[in-house]
Amino acid sequence: MIDIPALIRLLKAYDVEFIVIGGVAAAAHGTARATFDLDVVYRRTPENIERLASSLQTHSPSLRNAPPGLPFRFDSETIRRGLNFTLDTDFGPLDVLGEVTGGGKYEDLLPFTIPLAAFGVSCLCLNLERLIAVKRAAGRPKDFEAIAELEALLAEKKARH
Amino acid sequence: MSNKPETEEAFVAGNPELPVDPVIEAYKKDVDRALLRSNLKLTPEQRLMNLQNFLNAIEELRRAVKAARS
Repeated sequence: MIDIPALIRLLKAYDVEFIVIGGVAAAAHGTARATFDLDVVYRRTPENIERLASSLQTHSPSLRNAPPGLPFRFDSETIRRGLNFTLDTDFGPLDVLGEVTGGGKYEDLLPFTIPLAAFGVSCLCLNLERLIAVKRAAGRPKDFEAIAELEALLAEKKARH
Repeated sequence: MSNKPETEEAFVAGNPELPVDPVIEAYKKDVDRALLRSNLKLTPEQRLMNLQNFLNAIEELRRAVKAARS
């Protein structure tokens, strides 16, 4: 099961540069939808890749739903050679993404982030408008209901201001 | 579903006019807006803690069901 505070604190403890997106970002903005993993977009600099690898080193990162026995080591070399990883960790499912459809890389998303203060740390979270745009661009049927809720949430927020 | 890049860019650039998507509009009818309003009264941290508590409860239920079956 996912431990959201533990995962966010862990990444922050290693100074990983990341942006919270997906269902956890949606929940932070106010949706009432459950999510079972944490999605983050990480900055693909050599230094940040090292920090990301170090942060998870002792927390049993493995590829989610991979066949048993498949050799996998989540180190900086693996991260450099890959891009997006759907992981299981001691703190639950964690998707670390170098790029997202419709959103691009960390640097592309950075102008559309807001600070999220939670669990004793502060991290970056994708803003609501961009979150909707990214989900729309992904075009996945399973997201339609979530997009409807996000857009209704945006309308509620606008009505309050 | 409409996801034209130029529309997305305009949206992100500050133009809040979303292209109307009939599928998404259909789903909006079922959105619990009272729940959204209630969530908006909370801080982001409180919202995330509510989510975490919900997930913890689900896990507890799963364990209980598993234990009952064994």
